[in-house]
Amino acid sequence: MPSLRGIYDFPGPVAEAATKLKNRGFSDLEIYAPCAFPELDSVLDEKPSGVRAWTLIGGLIGVVTGFSVAIWMALDWPIVVGGKPFASIPPYVVIGFELTILFGGLATLVGLLVVGGLPYGTFGQTDKAYSTRFSADEIGLVVSCAERDVAEVDALLRATAAKEVDLVEA
Amino acid sequence: MTPPPAMSVADTMRPPPEPPDSKINEDLLRIMYHRISPGYLLLLGATILSVVAAGGTWVYQVYIGLGIAGYTHPVFWGAYLITFVFWVGIAHAGTLISAILYLFRAKWRNAINRGAEAMTVFAVLTAAQFLGIHVGRMWKSYFILPYPNQRGLWTNFKSPLEWDTFAISTYATIAIVFLFIGLIPDFAVARDRAKGIRKLAYTALSLGWQGTSRQWKSHTRSVLHLSGLATPLVLSVHSVISWDFAMSLVPGWHATIFAPYFVAGAIFSGFSMVLTFFIPLRRIYGLEEYITDYHFDNIARFILLTGWIVTYGYASEYFVAWYSTVEPEQTSFWLRAFGPYWFSTWVMLTCNCIVPQIFWFKWARTTPWILFTVATLVNIGMWFERYVIIITGLSREYEPAVWGIYTPTWAELTLFAGSFGFFAMLFLLSIKVLPIIAITEVKELAIHEKAHGGAH
Repeated sequence: MPSLRGIYDFPGPVAEAATKLKNRGFSDLEIYAPCAFPELDSVLDEKPSGVRAWTLIGGLIGVVTGFSVAIWMALDWPIVVGGKPFASIPPYVVIGFELTILFGGLATLVGLLVVGGLPYGTFGQTDKAYSTRFSADEIGLVVSCAERDVAEVDALLRATAAKEVDLVEA
Repeated sequence: MTPPPAMSVADTMRPPPEPPDSKINEDLLRIMYHRISPGYLLLLGATILSVVAAGGTWVYQVYIGLGIAGYTHPVFWGAYLITFVFWVGIAHAGTLISAILYLFRAKWRNAINRGAEAMTVFAVLTAAQFLGIHVGRMWKSYFILPYPNQRGLWTNFKSPLEWDTFAISTYATIAIVFLFIGLIPDFAVARDRAKGIRKLAYTALSLGWQGTSRQWKSHTRSVLHLSGLATPLVLSVHSVISWDFAMSLVPGWHATIFAPYFVAGAIFSGFSMVLTFFIPLRRIYGLEEYITDYHFDNIARFILLTGWIVTYGYASEYFVAWYSTVEPEQTSFWLRAFGPYWFSTWVMLTCNCIVPQIFWFKWARTTPWILFTVATLVNIGMWFERYVIIITGLSREYEPAVWGIYTPTWAELTLFAGSFGFFAMLFLLSIKVLPIIAITEVKELAIHEKAHGGAH
């Protein structure tokens, strides 16, 4: 299946092109961008990012771990201080809080790797459609389509301000 | 004549030639590839020398004991703890710029956040060493971690020093994660342009990043979530450190103002250190286009604001001491200003309360040498602030019979100087291996500006 690659200068036209292509039934799309553009954020995937679940679960595990570790250890090695309870909650809030952040942060990193598909491929491998132009200041929109649709896609990309359109070698 | 065969649309399309690289990539990667000048080598050599001197002193201290540090009754927290608190404070600006300003969508942070994040990591690493140096028997430091052992003995989670362990290690970890996540796309930029061993290193570090929509979406969400987590963290870390003092009953320490006052002081000194490093960096590498007077102006405003919060903290301490009618508390504060440590108190007040007032004037906020001077003085003042709190508190407790005088010794001063050397050494090395200005974030602003005809 051939893939066409449109090269753009600005994110607005990319979002427009991708939306039109999706509406016409082309679902195999990919955007390569040099930086994060809010315009492109949800064009290809409207669902919220799965990273948030990783952060939430990590944070929850952290808070439970923080409190339970502190309480369990206080009960396992009781320090007798004038009738005060062995496990007192207020000082453990600090431990619970810190571990919430720690576990939440580490889970976010893992979430980025899992959801973002990183590390990608084998060492040093990139997609055929990827170009170092996309780590400069240009944006690439890659569409896979049937042979018979090439002309239509080409026209659509050019009509949405793609400054260059080329065929990605399979 | 036979006409040529009909060409399909695909046949007419050929891969376009690679255009020249973007100006932003060239400008910002140039810092890493900039010729290593004699000045750079001299500076690096000096920092390494101070680290070696500090290392040697530390080895000697391990051999002789903490006595060479001037720790003597009643002052057993001295320059090492002061320096520890100082460096943790320095670490705060990075997370503030990265996390809090990110949440507030303050785009002016983009050119300075990476350097500040790196400074955070280096400052925490510097600070953490002083915990070990301070306890003397550094090799026993792991006792403070809750680990299973044959005696069934656990750490005391009710102790603020234990909270410190968790706060600092969490802060260090999150700061490293934050820095690394931000660096991944920039490592990919460097990878695409590097050759040889650098190519290999950046290929590994960029994790195969290509900037696909899925990757960017995950990346922005990760930065957002980390910012949400790091914002309360940055406020909590110095609060926890302030509780090392405030949870005790030492006159001058046992105050509820300590947490906000420490946090403000940390941001105050952190921003000053950012200026201390960014002003020469901008000048040497010609980065005026990226680190503009607008950045310095905003940082100076932060310094002015936090300077006033710190001043309010000082004033409220004196007011509460007077209002409390508690004699040891009042004596402690009287001695701060007019006792044996008067010099440190007045240095602190001058540098932290009076000097930053020059930032009421815009010309001062945009003149590099004034900014650099004020930032340096603020850092001196903030080190003395911790000196005043720790030393005057401990040396004059409740009973005059146990009063004593503390003076930092050569060993403490060498290790203190070594900490600056260590921090500066890491910074100097980092500008040669890390994109010290966030390339992709600067680019985002630039492309938007271009798209909207410079309307941003």
